[in-house]
Amino acid sequence: MSNGGTPASVRKEGGFEREPARRVFSSELRECKYQFREGDDEKSPTFVLLPTGERCNRIFLIGTLTEKQRQGDQNIFYRGRIVDPTGTFYVMAGSYQPEAMQQLAKIETPAFVAVVGKPNLYQKPDGAYTVSVRVESITVVDRETRDLWVLDAARSTLDRIEALIAGTSPDAARIKEHYPSIDPVSFRKMAYEALAQIKI
Amino acid sequence: MDISQTAERISVRFSQKGQDVDKKKIEAKLRRLIDEFGVQPAEAERSVTNELAKELNLPGFGTSAGISGSAGVKEGCSISEIAPGEWVTIEGKVVGILSPPSPAIAQSGIIADSTGAIRFVAWAKANAPKMAEGSWYRIESAVVDEYKGVANLKIHSGTAIKPIIEDQALIPSILKIGDLKPGIGSVRAKVVQEWETTHERMLQSGVLGDESGTIKFIIWKEAGKDKLAVGSVYTIYYAQVDEFNGRLSLNLTTASYMKDEGDIAVSGGDAEIRGTIIHMAPGSGLIKRCPVDGCNRALSRQNYCPVHEIQPKFVYDLRIKGWLDDGKKTYNLLLQRDVVESLTGITLDAAKELAENNPLGMDEVFLRMRDAVLGRYVACKGREIDNRLLVRACERLKVEPGDHTALLNRAGGVA
Repeated sequence: MSNGGTPASVRKEGGFEREPARRVFSSELRECKYQFREGDDEKSPTFVLLPTGERCNRIFLIGTLTEKQRQGDQNIFYRGRIVDPTGTFYVMAGSYQPEAMQQLAKIETPAFVAVVGKPNLYQKPDGAYTVSVRVESITVVDRETRDLWVLDAARSTLDRIEALIAGTSPDAARIKEHYPSIDPVSFRKMAYEALAQIKI
Repeated sequence: MDISQTAERISVRFSQKGQDVDKKKIEAKLRRLIDEFGVQPAEAERSVTNELAKELNLPGFGTSAGISGSAGVKEGCSISEIAPGEWVTIEGKVVGILSPPSPAIAQSGIIADSTGAIRFVAWAKANAPKMAEGSWYRIESAVVDEYKGVANLKIHSGTAIKPIIEDQALIPSILKIGDLKPGIGSVRAKVVQEWETTHERMLQSGVLGDESGTIKFIIWKEAGKDKLAVGSVYTIYYAQVDEFNGRLSLNLTTASYMKDEGDIAVSGGDAEIRGTIIHMAPGSGLIKRCPVDGCNRALSRQNYCPVHEIQPKFVYDLRIKGWLDDGKKTYNLLLQRDVVESLTGITLDAAKELAENNPLGMDEVFLRMRDAVLGRYVACKGREIDNRLLVRACERLKVEPGDHTALLNRAGGVA
């Protein structure tokens, strides 16, 4: 009756639970250099490890779509740049996300957009990492919703930093191993600057 | 496990039946299975016991798995004391009969005495006499095993069933929903919500609640079973409490239920979740419902109701199914018509007009609603059941200047 098992498997037992959409600023997402998979199943989720100590399989972001570009001949896909107060998110939507691609194709730049998507880590030939977000949905929103997101992302970032410092973050050990040179406290400054940029 | 100990245990069980079996012979059989064939000791014990029982013509002896350690039949025990692995003789009243799920099962149902109730299964191979609902029986030498974590009485070919005269009124003890455990339980609860049935054999499913909590319920189609009325209070005797993925649910198919007077203040109806709507699922927007009285199921695009087939005189309705995400957890969201209208600003009449005058039809309503709600911050008030949020009111959030200042202070403290 009660489900025993290792902490890793506890996540999966207790039924199906969707991966929540994490709120993260672009300049934190840009620092990600480590991606891992939990479990050996074909459908096991892949997580990108945020330097502030949380794994994410899905993210929610709001920013300004400044540029979009259609690419590919056979397999058409769209790339977009979405700017938040701290930097730029790179997003893409291809033919496997037809709805998201059509939405992205339709939106006129510049516009405030809300994006739900999956982050993916790529290594460039020169060894540097980039993170791009595969769009699940993208919608035009108003400024107030954008402001709400900046507050939300700042709150989530501060929560993660505090959990990491307090040692309650579930992935604290992974952070030490994979991001030895990153000081999580530096993201507090980033959050401050992001908050300072919005006028309320 | 020590093989000679196991052999000893088996021989004791047989000598209790008046059969002397050579311990050496048992041990040799066990050794062969365990050492030569790598059989698990418990399985070896079972198989040797069965083999000997067959040889000695002791039908029904040792057919169950996991009987190790139990010796002999527990006589005249009360139902609440029964534990898996035991052989028991009980007296009780059949309070519910289920139609057998498989031809291998002759009869299954629920038998109760003054202390409790247990599910029973009579195998077709057992050739046991059929028991009648409402009658009392003495069941001798039945085996108790565990099925899906719940004790279960197995009636096999070695079990004797005798009708007995007993004129005792059984009053099961009513439990609070929060105190239910897998097995059989009786509750007094209010029907909080009815869900669309997802299977043609399903009569009704939904949520029951009392002061202590809420629980999912299901009734399968059986002769003489009635639906529960939403909003009414019922006393429910002998429902099966099942566990799936750590969550309990009540199966009322074997239960008897009576409508009750009064009302219950159901707990848990005032959750408030703040987050963003990150997905709007197909089946949202303007939908058609089955007009048949009491059905109200959503129809397919071709006006097909899973139960009542094609219904050209459907009724229009609005709803939004989606995901609400607060960054920590994702909830399944269900918004009813009035909430959809106030959140999207599109009334049912406006939606109908849109659908009728637009080349995209109902899709146009879906797209407009999606553009109006996706990515938006909202506060949803309602009832939360297993990640599912049944929303009573949903409001757009506004920026609170106080939050901004507080966050700036929090972030600036160490910068």
